[in-house]
Amino acid sequence: MASHNVVGAVLVAGGGVAGMQAALDLANAGYYVYMVEKSLAIGGRMSQLDKTFPTNDCSMCIISPKLVEVGRHINVELLTLTDILSINGTEGNFTVTVRKNPRYIDMSKCIACGECTKKCPSKVSNNYNENLDNRKAIYVQYAQAVPLKYGIDAEKCLKLTKGKCGSCKKVCPADAVNYDDKPEEATFKVGSVILAPGFAPYKPSDFETYRYSDSKDVITALEFERYLGATGPTMGEVVRPSDGHHPTKMAFLQCVGSRDINRADNGYCSSVCCMYAIKEALIAKEHSGGKLDVSIFYMDIRTFGKDFERYYEKAKAAGIKFIRSRVHTVRPEPKNGVKIGYVGDGGVASEDYFDLAVLSHGLVITPDTKALSENLGIQTDHYNFAKTSTFAPVALSRPGFYGCGVYTGPKDIPSSVMEASAAAAAATSKLTPARSTLTKVINVPAPVDVTGEPPRVGVFVCRCGINIASVVDVEKVVEFAKTLPFVEYAAVTMFACSQDSQEKIVSLIKEYRLNRIVVSACSPRTHEPLFQETLAAAGLNKYLYEMANIRNHDSWVHANNPVEATRKAMDMTEMAVAKAALLVPLKENVIDVDPTALVIGGGVAGLNAALTLSSQGFKSVIVEKEQRSGGNANRIHSTTKGEDVAKYLESLKNKVLDDPKITLVLGSEVDKVEGYVGNFATTLTTGETVKHGVTIIATGAKEHKPTEYLYGQNNKVVTQLEFDEMIKSDDDAVRNSKTFVFVQCVGSREPERMYCSKVCCGHTAHTAVELKKKNPGARIFVLYRDMRTYAQKEDLYKEARDLGVIFVRYTLENKPKFSEADGKIKVEILDPVSGLRLLINPDMAILAAAIVSGRETELAMKYKVPLDEDGWFFEAHQKLRPVDFATDGMFLAGIAHYPKPMDEVIAQAQAAAARAVTVLTQPKMTVGGIVAEINQAKCSGCGVCVAVCPFSAISLDEKGKSVVNEAMCKGCGNCASSCRSDAPSLRGFTNAGLFAQIASAL
Amino acid sequence: MPALSDINSKIRESARKLLADGRAEVVIGYRQGTVPMTTSPMFARKPAECDQLIWSNFARINLANYLPGRPGKVALVAKGCDARSAVGQVTENQILKDNLYIIGVPCTGMIDTNLVLAKETRPIKELVETTDEAITVKGEGFSTEINKADVLRRNCQTCANRTPKLADELIGPETPGANPDDFADIKALLNKTPDERMAYFKDLIKDCLRCYACRNACPLCYCPICFVDETRPQWLGKSTDPMDTLTFHILRGLHCSGRCTSCGACETACPVNIKVREFNRVTELTVQNNWHYEAGQSWDQKPPLTMFQTDDQADFIK
Amino acid sequence: MSDFEPKIVAFFCNWCTYGAADLAGVSRLDYPPNFRVVRLPCTGRLNPKFIMEAFKRGADGVWISGCHPGDCHYIAGNYHARRKFVLMHQLLESIGVDPNRLRFSWISSAEANKFQAMARDVVEHVKACGPNTTFRKEDLKLGLAEVA
Repeated sequence: MASHNVVGAVLVAGGGVAGMQAALDLANAGYYVYMVEKSLAIGGRMSQLDKTFPTNDCSMCIISPKLVEVGRHINVELLTLTDILSINGTEGNFTVTVRKNPRYIDMSKCIACGECTKKCPSKVSNNYNENLDNRKAIYVQYAQAVPLKYGIDAEKCLKLTKGKCGSCKKVCPADAVNYDDKPEEATFKVGSVILAPGFAPYKPSDFETYRYSDSKDVITALEFERYLGATGPTMGEVVRPSDGHHPTKMAFLQCVGSRDINRADNGYCSSVCCMYAIKEALIAKEHSGGKLDVSIFYMDIRTFGKDFERYYEKAKAAGIKFIRSRVHTVRPEPKNGVKIGYVGDGGVASEDYFDLAVLSHGLVITPDTKALSENLGIQTDHYNFAKTSTFAPVALSRPGFYGCGVYTGPKDIPSSVMEASAAAAAATSKLTPARSTLTKVINVPAPVDVTGEPPRVGVFVCRCGINIASVVDVEKVVEFAKTLPFVEYAAVTMFACSQDSQEKIVSLIKEYRLNRIVVSACSPRTHEPLFQETLAAAGLNKYLYEMANIRNHDSWVHANNPVEATRKAMDMTEMAVAKAALLVPLKENVIDVDPTALVIGGGVAGLNAALTLSSQGFKSVIVEKEQRSGGNANRIHSTTKGEDVAKYLESLKNKVLDDPKITLVLGSEVDKVEGYVGNFATTLTTGETVKHGVTIIATGAKEHKPTEYLYGQNNKVVTQLEFDEMIKSDDDAVRNSKTFVFVQCVGSREPERMYCSKVCCGHTAHTAVELKKKNPGARIFVLYRDMRTYAQKEDLYKEARDLGVIFVRYTLENKPKFSEADGKIKVEILDPVSGLRLLINPDMAILAAAIVSGRETELAMKYKVPLDEDGWFFEAHQKLRPVDFATDGMFLAGIAHYPKPMDEVIAQAQAAAARAVTVLTQPKMTVGGIVAEINQAKCSGCGVCVAVCPFSAISLDEKGKSVVNEAMCKGCGNCASSCRSDAPSLRGFTNAGLFAQIASAL
Repeated sequence: MPALSDINSKIRESARKLLADGRAEVVIGYRQGTVPMTTSPMFARKPAECDQLIWSNFARINLANYLPGRPGKVALVAKGCDARSAVGQVTENQILKDNLYIIGVPCTGMIDTNLVLAKETRPIKELVETTDEAITVKGEGFSTEINKADVLRRNCQTCANRTPKLADELIGPETPGANPDDFADIKALLNKTPDERMAYFKDLIKDCLRCYACRNACPLCYCPICFVDETRPQWLGKSTDPMDTLTFHILRGLHCSGRCTSCGACETACPVNIKVREFNRVTELTVQNNWHYEAGQSWDQKPPLTMFQTDDQADFIK
Repeated sequence: MSDFEPKIVAFFCNWCTYGAADLAGVSRLDYPPNFRVVRLPCTGRLNPKFIMEAFKRGADGVWISGCHPGDCHYIAGNYHARRKFVLMHQLLESIGVDPNRLRFSWISSAEANKFQAMARDVVEHVKACGPNTTFRKEDLKLGLAEVA
């Protein structure tokens, strides 16, 4: 493949959260993105969630800015209702053929007013709400959908099926309905492909035990999620479906369709169900005012992620009951509810009544996705997940193809987002010669300087077809607007957002020399960027714009009161004019970006981050405090997939050493830090100063030194890492031992370390299997609290049991007792299943010691980034920004963030690099616009603004006065409202502007 | 019962030493006022000037008010409340900790002149104070001894922080704080009806001239431009509309929240004797109840409005 | 008093409650037309002075609403705002302002129904308070003169 042939575009298949993240990272790094989505709109499964664990963030609130960003991105081409037919060619140069299925709506005309839906006579079961209520045959997928355009369900539409009706076309004010729409094929070229087709929840219909098909009061977790959701069928009210009453007692049944090869063929753990069940239980309990009685029936609770264990503890404290047992019978009661039969600890059979049973169903690959993999020649595992290796966690079997999200294995949102960024980096590692060759830029004329001119406000009042005009007397609003101070021009438009209206606004701005524009129409959340572009096209600074939302906040909600709605529209227009008159042009400045990264930590994460950056063409400096690189991986024998870590590490280190773009500084640490995104200057303890545009923190963590189980007293008691080193060196002690005891959770999941170290269970299961394979006669005991072999690692757990490894559970209150006699170890443990006390005399005991953070307080302070209470570096957002810090230009990778296995470490390192590239790829960064500024004459230097700024954007200068770094300010205005003397001001939302709005509101 | 003369000589001795050693370039303390029952600030820059420094039962001014922005090394004669104000100013970057030396005077409370005048209505010509527990006022044909406990300022009656905890040195033995609930009357007020409360506060400030003497006396009010003087936008009307006056007091109460040390300087300064501290006391009660914070009690505790806890309670938010 | 129509000034953060109001519109959830919305980037931008300004100019009620704690688009804006709200709420209530005139709420961008219910509730409560005659300027025109 000649590099000059590579194409600077990437196909992203799937518009869920993973696909969206990949698309944004690609587009922001200089690649054109084709995003193919099967359904009407992007958003994927996450758009169906009410809240997200473990922060209970509102799912829609956090995803919707991303939806909008993807929808508006000039370099993301959204192909909805589209199927991939074929992808031919080779890495760097593929030809994609797709079929665009008909929407029957002209997207360029549809204004999403919803008149069509009101008139449509066909009721269709609503799959967004898991078919718990109905929608119409003409519909939007969900209210916040992107693109916000209607579509017709061809199978249910009377016109398309029977040739009757046609109401929607009649009522559409924009003439957008087109019954003659046909499928179209299209081809385009891309350099690589990212597959993120997602999953479907397991359908428990044919699972007779659980009576999902014939009992109304047995529902799935996703159905329950929709009941909890404010936009769900009951608008957030928790009900028992059989009679609509509030349940008083409910149960969650875990592992439905997961960890089950008898009925479901899904041997893997779905990784997310324990957490979502706890989340749904907590929220349902909250909705009921704490009265609801909730039980969760489980096999192992797998709360292995960051802050998950505390979430579990919180649920227990809130009174949620956790019952370890597998349910054997669900029996619907005559009227409502179900009886659940189960066998608990000690073999005691019980039965209990519940108003509602929720099945925590797993994540499965759909037949469509399976067919896609086959069609594209992607190798999959026996569960149909795409195959990947630990060391290239997002690379698929076919060169040039990358995968992320649940497509490569069950995982939660942050892991999917990390992989998405990683895939963006990996997918473009060979495309750098074509970077920025296919991307578009918006060319706008240089803005006219209006400084000093008196305001000349133009007001455009939109009819929005009949959406506004049928309620609000728009003519009256215009006449009123003409009487307002500074208004030079006011007029009605049919659709302010239509192409012809936009052109007219441009010419009117010139004709009347308008220098402030007010549009009274719909929501600035959806339309402000569009009108700002119009201003820019007319040569006006785009910030000289204000909007009055007389549709969403007025005509649509006061349809029964046209008089008051008109009065309100007048007030809202007056408020907008009052604010607009005080607006000033806002400058956007450019700052230089030093295209170099500083990577702190030379472990697997740091080395991978640097190599990924190098493949993107960027230099980096790695600082490692030890005298050798590789970190903890130097001690690890093999991965859970059986790959040799030493071999990998050697090649990794060599690649780094051979790479001219990477400088590795050993035996050094960060001493002094200056600067900010684009322009950091970090001085190392070796004395040299590194200039860099971004920083990646990958400082790792360490193994806890156990203080129990004879560790340090008997040399046959070792930690997991020590044992790995012994295996690596083929130590006699291992070879000569016959009986091994593995103890899990040594120092983890205890009050002083209330988190799961995530890697130990998988590693133990893997090691036990290896030992057994080498020496079938070995007696191996694993003493555990909950086995947390999540995702496909569950296979290892099963394999270990099949090979005869004995797993014995213990509780925190009843830990195994270790004693020593004549140098021999004696282990005593109570088996909760049989109730018997077991005595084991192991030759070796291996302790799964906790992973503990380095608690890098000083480093954190130097770069103004936070640590959490366990000392892990704290990312900007646990769900959607897992590798970013809130402070711009700062990124995070590896186990400095939280313990995780090597594949996830590598994915995170690639992700951090991908995020860093979005900064480094811009030679100049635009800063400014709506940011804070300080009037130093008013500043007392008290430091309140410095303390309340969430982005560390304010500091005190040498005079002791506050100063804002525009590159870091996000425009929240916390500073402006916290200062007693109003020294900070938020541009675009000044005190004067807001006062003018308040005054004209009254 | 320390004699004032003892306290005076200790303050002077300390001040002289600090100036002589270069530990301070100026000692800010009190000197006798020009009329009886008052004191004035004294800025001693030379050891010889230290003889004018005094301690008094009328040392009501909070001298921390002179600290913000002052360059160089300063020693401050401070009561418990004043020292807390100074500590607050250090946390708010108004003075460097290294440049500040607090000569702490364990206090027994300061006298409210109005209460003295209420007790002794005859014209007072002369004041005799020898201890920090009682005074004698004299006039034409009378000499009345008044027990200080009977004429303490409101804030001093309930002060629990009379000894400056974080002082660099203490002049004399620690004094016990008063123990009564500082907020008992505010809590009682909150039990009244909203109309009664509104009537109370409106009546409280009805005589306010908006002269801002309270602000000028306050060690917290060091802003280069006060919001009352702001013109774009104008936060406060220039008219004497009672709502503007009320707004001034409400916003001042907010600005002082988590910072006020109940020094009473504002009330002492008020020419029309308004209990201007009532607003601050409401906010201080809120601060203590919600965030368990008292201003100036530690060098490194973050002020409550510069931080938050994710589980801060606010049940009224629906 | 039944024909009294209150004037309410509402301050919504752009990312959550303003979005909920948008969604209420999309869902055609009707509510009384008595309030006017000032859009802020974040409740953290709400200076307590804005509340005073609205009342001074004769607002019968003030409604402030933003993202639920933990949901802030700016990470911590609403946490800082919450402390200011606690003070402002307590201070105004203490000096006798009817707490029904001042509402604080957290409404996420998905909670259109909560928005509708809250809007109705706010208007109903302010209505029950009657016109604001005590916590405002005596001569409202004076206030306007100062702006111009």
